[in-house]
Amino acid sequence: MTTPLLNIAGLTVRFGGLTAVDDLSFQVQSGQIHALIGPNGAGKSTTFNCISRYYDPTGGSIAFAGEDITHRDASEMARLGVARTFQNLELFNELNVEENALLGTYSYGARRLGQLLRRPSAEHREHAHHLLERVGLIDFLDHKASSLDFGRQKMLELARALAIKPRLLLLDEPAAGLRNREIDKLDKILTELSSKEGMTVLLVEHVMQLVMSISQCITVMSFGHKIAEGTPAEIRADERVIEAYLGKGTRHE
Amino acid sequence: MKTNFDLWALVLAAVALIALPFLASGYVIYIVNLLMIYIVLALGLHIVIGETGQFALAHAAFYGIGIYVAGILNNTLHLNFVISIIVAGIVTAAIGYILGALAIRMRDIYLALSTFAFGEAMQWVFLNWTDVTNGSNGYQISPAQFFGFQLTSDLRAYPFVVICAALLLALAVWLSRSQLGSAFRAVRESDVAAQAMGVNANVIKRVAFMLSAAYAGMAGGLYTTFSSFIHPESLGFWTTILILIMIVVGGIGSVRGAVVGALIFGLISELLRQVLSFQEIIYGLILIGFMMFAPRGLFSGQRRRPNPPRRDASASGPTTAKEQP
Repeated sequence: MTTPLLNIAGLTVRFGGLTAVDDLSFQVQSGQIHALIGPNGAGKSTTFNCISRYYDPTGGSIAFAGEDITHRDASEMARLGVARTFQNLELFNELNVEENALLGTYSYGARRLGQLLRRPSAEHREHAHHLLERVGLIDFLDHKASSLDFGRQKMLELARALAIKPRLLLLDEPAAGLRNREIDKLDKILTELSSKEGMTVLLVEHVMQLVMSISQCITVMSFGHKIAEGTPAEIRADERVIEAYLGKGTRHE
Repeated sequence: MKTNFDLWALVLAAVALIALPFLASGYVIYIVNLLMIYIVLALGLHIVIGETGQFALAHAAFYGIGIYVAGILNNTLHLNFVISIIVAGIVTAAIGYILGALAIRMRDIYLALSTFAFGEAMQWVFLNWTDVTNGSNGYQISPAQFFGFQLTSDLRAYPFVVICAALLLALAVWLSRSQLGSAFRAVRESDVAAQAMGVNANVIKRVAFMLSAAYAGMAGGLYTTFSSFIHPESLGFWTTILILIMIVVGGIGSVRGAVVGALIFGLISELLRQVLSFQEIIYGLILIGFMMFAPRGLFSGQRRRPNPPRRDASASGPTTAKEQP
């Protein structure tokens, strides 16, 4: 197998006496949709926040595209090609939909002072509009982000992350709180991203219907450990997983 | 509609400002000069508080540093006032950057308190560094120079003051519309999300402090072109609060708001100079009025679009856009 796009090795995170993530290792292969699942408190979001560099791990290493990023600053990740969404929406609430999406182009569109002191280029604006069209927000360009309903806010966050033109997209519970119709749309968008554009996605998610439908690989965590890994079919049949979920296997089916 | 407002306001302002010297007395010209200074000060505070959301309360200190730097250059080297203003801007920018680098470790009320402390300390310096500032006796500033032309009166300084203020206003609008402006607002709205976009929040905050201080410093430099005297008394916290009131009442986060707020409160503060005891009461009443009827200011929430919508140039609002097939 070729070098994985993301390589987590021996990741450990301790908060005081609590070990949230304990010696966790897994790889995300380029072009795959990879899900990180597990019961609440398993350490999924902590892992996620280490990869996007919001938390510093206590031990272990994180490599992206062969480069060690364990000690990078969070604000460097976009330029490296890692985009993320947030579990509890982090939009620029008072800014309109267009400016939110345009900020996604900042990491490559405002690198030189000459660019920083100008508006985003026509090309980057077009890219942002294209993504807003894709998530169904093109008619809301002037709306404040905070005025959108929850589902649309989630979609705006996705469009903003995609505007970064990431090589790795990190989605923290993208389906949480969405209606079934919206989940179907998300499913379609992510599948399309993966199959047509070869986007690599790592997602933390509780909505099993979505996870099982789109993932090629699933890593299951419980109490900070990796307890299983495999294809959706393998995970469904795995006894340790069923046990971790108290015999329920899938929570939303 | 908003663009029309801006256009008409600019045309009216230009006509009024050109006609004014032929119609008005020296005192009126003095007040207009002062209003220009207030606009520049308000624009500066707008950058750090309105755009970037960092409660920096040392604005009067930077204004003061700008006045003393430019005043000393005028008195000793008799430099062209443009150079004095630029030097005042550079000195305050440097100090603002350093203050920013130290202060942004703190947030919210702590940031406000630490910058307030810096402001108070600077006022103490103005009062006690008597060799340089002449302390509590106040500092005499000799007339500014412009290629051998002496700005000895308010009227002579007037065109220069207006042009400088207009240039700084244009620059503020430019910055607000640029990607740097977007980065400022991103930091204001969410540090965490800004970082995820690749915006280095710490650098952006320092830049905002720097630009804000430079505006205040240049306002100070501009002040020396028509005024021959400064007293440290007028460079204290109350002046910072006055400018804060301007941007809050005008509508925080809006360039229009900063300008209109500066005009309203600059005028009020000057008109009430004779009745000092009423000044604070009247400010108080106006503030209460705004809190009740327009808590977010005159121009709140009317954030400028980065660009007109792509689909339909005539679609001024979302309602129209939604009706498109």
